[in-house]
Amino acid sequence: MKLGTLAKYALLVVASIIVAFPLLVALSYSFMSESEIATFPPPVFPAQPSLDNYSQVFATIPIVRYLLNSFVVSTAVVVGQLITASLAAYAFSFLVFRGRQVLFFLFLSTLMIPWEATIIPNYMTIRTIGWLDTYQGLAVPFMATAFGTFLLRQAFLQIPRELWDAARIDGASTFRFLISTVIPLSRPALGTIAIYGFLSTYNQYFWPLLITNQPLMRTTQVGIAQLRFEETLRWGLVMAGVIMVAIPTLALLVVGQRQLIRGLTAGAVKG
Amino acid sequence: MRRLATLALAFTMVATACGGLAPGGSDSSALAPAKDVAPAATMTWWHAMSGVNGDAVNKIVAGFNSSQSKIKVEAIFQGNYDDLLAKLNTAIASNAAPALVQVYDIGQRYMYDSAQVVPMQAFIDRDKFNTSDFEPAVINYYKYQDKLQSMPFNASTPVLYYNKDAFKEVGLDPAKPPVTFTEIADAAKKLTKKDASGQTTRYGFGPSIYGWLFEQLMATSGALYADNGNGRDNRSTKVVYNSAAGKAILDWWKAGVDGGYFYNPGIDNDGAANAFNAQKSAMYIESTARMRGHITTIAGKFELGIGLYPRPDSKPKEGGNIIGGASLYIMKSRPPAEQQAAWEFVKYAMSSAVQAQWQSDTGYYPVVKSAYDQAPSKDFSTKYPQFQVAISEIRDSPQNRSTNGAVLGVMPQARQRTQKMIESVLLGQATSQAALDAAVTEMNAAIDKYNKANP
Amino acid sequence: MKGWTSRDLRGLVVGLAYLAPSLLLFAAFVFIPLAQTIYLSFFNTRATGVITTFAGLDHYVELLTSEIFHTGLLATAIFALYTVPIGIALGLVLAVLLNQRLRAINVFRTMMSSTIAISAAVGALIWLLLFNPSLGLLDYMLSLIGIQGPAWLIQPTTAIIAVSITTIWLTLGTNIIVLLSGLQSVPEEIYEAARLDGARGLRMFTRITVPMVSPSLFFLFVVDTVAVLQAFTQIHVMTRGGPVDATRVLVYSIYQDAFQNFQFGFASAQAVILLLLVMGLTLIQFRFVERRVHYQ
Repeated sequence: MKLGTLAKYALLVVASIIVAFPLLVALSYSFMSESEIATFPPPVFPAQPSLDNYSQVFATIPIVRYLLNSFVVSTAVVVGQLITASLAAYAFSFLVFRGRQVLFFLFLSTLMIPWEATIIPNYMTIRTIGWLDTYQGLAVPFMATAFGTFLLRQAFLQIPRELWDAARIDGASTFRFLISTVIPLSRPALGTIAIYGFLSTYNQYFWPLLITNQPLMRTTQVGIAQLRFEETLRWGLVMAGVIMVAIPTLALLVVGQRQLIRGLTAGAVKG
Repeated sequence: MRRLATLALAFTMVATACGGLAPGGSDSSALAPAKDVAPAATMTWWHAMSGVNGDAVNKIVAGFNSSQSKIKVEAIFQGNYDDLLAKLNTAIASNAAPALVQVYDIGQRYMYDSAQVVPMQAFIDRDKFNTSDFEPAVINYYKYQDKLQSMPFNASTPVLYYNKDAFKEVGLDPAKPPVTFTEIADAAKKLTKKDASGQTTRYGFGPSIYGWLFEQLMATSGALYADNGNGRDNRSTKVVYNSAAGKAILDWWKAGVDGGYFYNPGIDNDGAANAFNAQKSAMYIESTARMRGHITTIAGKFELGIGLYPRPDSKPKEGGNIIGGASLYIMKSRPPAEQQAAWEFVKYAMSSAVQAQWQSDTGYYPVVKSAYDQAPSKDFSTKYPQFQVAISEIRDSPQNRSTNGAVLGVMPQARQRTQKMIESVLLGQATSQAALDAAVTEMNAAIDKYNKANP
Repeated sequence: MKGWTSRDLRGLVVGLAYLAPSLLLFAAFVFIPLAQTIYLSFFNTRATGVITTFAGLDHYVELLTSEIFHTGLLATAIFALYTVPIGIALGLVLAVLLNQRLRAINVFRTMMSSTIAISAAVGALIWLLLFNPSLGLLDYMLSLIGIQGPAWLIQPTTAIIAVSITTIWLTLGTNIIVLLSGLQSVPEEIYEAARLDGARGLRMFTRITVPMVSPSLFFLFVVDTVAVLQAFTQIHVMTRGGPVDATRVLVYSIYQDAFQNFQFGFASAQAVILLLLVMGLTLIQFRFVERRVHYQ
């Protein structure tokens, strides 16, 4: 291997370890007992690694059910977001109409509204329409995304104008162009929205806490909070819960990464 | 102009539709349901107990459900105390509150002012329920104007945790822990250890910056936190902890941190507990609720000692400790049948057998004295003799307004504010008196606002 | 509506048709609740949220003249200034590092963008473990290389840095993914042409890479600012707004007033002010910064 390449690898390894360091610490602590954690100077690696914390997590909360709930809700939100954001971003990039600027800022404004300003009225709405303790209640309020719309708009704006003109000449309808040309060319951005939407829904805490009473409808973050007991913080247990909850999303990331790359190579052909 | 009017109308409609669900109106005479009301078949109980304590809660509920066939209780964990209260508040506003709810100690005033509670006293009076068995210190905390508002459920008190091995190491008597401020400072100085490079490897005393600990120090000083009998004779109009007692506490604390023999873990209570476990500090103050956790984690590393909570050198005889923890409230918005069911459950939970088991499972105080005679409680005392100190601490505390603890609608905010006050003193940003006065001024404005908003 | 032709109207209708799903959801779950909140900001409320008396602009006046509010604004500004530029710059540097055709590059990409998989609550917990004065893993590791680490969460100045570091770490995953995506859509021909012109290293970076990836940079600039201004969980887990209000950013004080002190009218007024601030900031960003973005 050339020296330059070796240097690059070294840099990558160091950078990766630094960035992933907190997660590695969490992993390490998840195998330690409370007694071991409470020593000074603090331990880095477990002296006697054990799976006790993990079995404790299973014993304390119905983690599998929570993971399932989070998955269902997050997937629903992603599907909803991809649809609404694609349509909206299309309007903001290719369609020209009066009032577009104002509507765009209206969209953006939703990003700036602090969640405390809307969460209580939203709770009341969900309660009134009987969506407490349901997947719909957990998912529907988040199916529109200004973030996703904005990201897609940026991506759509990168698509060469000539393709649009060519399609018009061919007589293709506006909608057709979106489906057949724009969307396929925007796979990386769509992938990003999907991953981002999935993860941010997966990571919600306050909303699921508010609208779910039934333990079986709860989601992962609420579950982790249950591992933080009122009287005492058991780091080992909490870290084990953290790792268990992070594994699915990390797995998604591994798969998602490849998807992004594949999409990019396919879409790299630009006019 | 017309557009503005339409807009205003829209706002009003929208707001009334959602914000206008007035709870119960002006009716403040929350009475217990009539004696002949049959209890509902199901009843929901919201609580904040998880882990081991959550299991203990489920045990009580299972025991109740299987002991009779009229009522089925469903216990739902709703997060920690803060989250539970936030959720309850939201639920009240949309008429979705449960029949029974566990709310922490400082939520008292809020609960009364919400006008959503049926006081326990109403049930006690209606059934002529015998309360002589209740632990006075525990019961008195939850009384307002001598009426019991809620039923104490999990009670704890703060104590001094200390490392007996460290004591022996520096020549202190492990059977006689320090009790007064000066005694603790002196012991801490001896217990502090530094290594060759001058780094401190062990501090003598490591209290976290926790508002509750300050409130307790005011109580052991025999001083009031708020006016009007700590808010128990009548609603408080101001806080009064910027007294000599308050200053003495802050001066002592600051001297310790500045002198390098007190450890400052900041607001992190778990951090303070961990420092103690890791022998980074040799003494610290916290709730008895942490005792069992410590015993498990320390096992074999060093011997745990429990001493009385610190008090001023003069050991004022009015000084004593306040009960902490949480209590159960019966909510008015549910139908009388459900309230009755809640009361049935509460009575069961207060029986001496259940309380003894609860103590054994969790380490909280039994609410009824006869629980101590039951086997689980006796076994607990044998297994954890250190707990005796805690029991005698509250038994020996005189019962007065100071030791009953303060009742304020803005207590959560007040607690935060005292934490900020202590931080500013320890960081050297303000002198003790200045910090006390600043906190008091700010809190008085907040109390004013609260009282106006909740007539 | 003056000056609107029927063509304009038709255009708007078509546009609205595409925007309808999003707009309906926004109306139901964002705009109408916001209207309620704005309404509430003009009233005093009981602890349970029920309106008691009309307050007019009282809350707003009280806020704008309150020293605590000014401290909060300052804390928010400092927090944003520490976090956003560094987070994006770091993301760019790492994305460039990751944008190479090396064997197993995917492993490194996954490792470095892994922070996106961690929720703010979880991330904050782990960093609390690291910054913790009692468990002190970070300080311990620093001491091994001879550095005396500060008591991170105890001192006001370092506390805000600690929260900043945590937030940078949390947003690093997003930043890397978006920038990597942007970098990868830069056609190779452009680099070739620049190389033929003699561009290398740093020059290549500033003259070619940065402009080419500026849409992504701008996107992150806007989105990260908004995210940082709304960052709540890290502060709640690590510092609770302290020490001495050093990390009591606007959004945290809104939470405290709404969910801890139950002063909904007052909290609503703060929410409105925060909203106006963020909107103003974003408008400025779009007006003055977007013109420098290079779209292909």
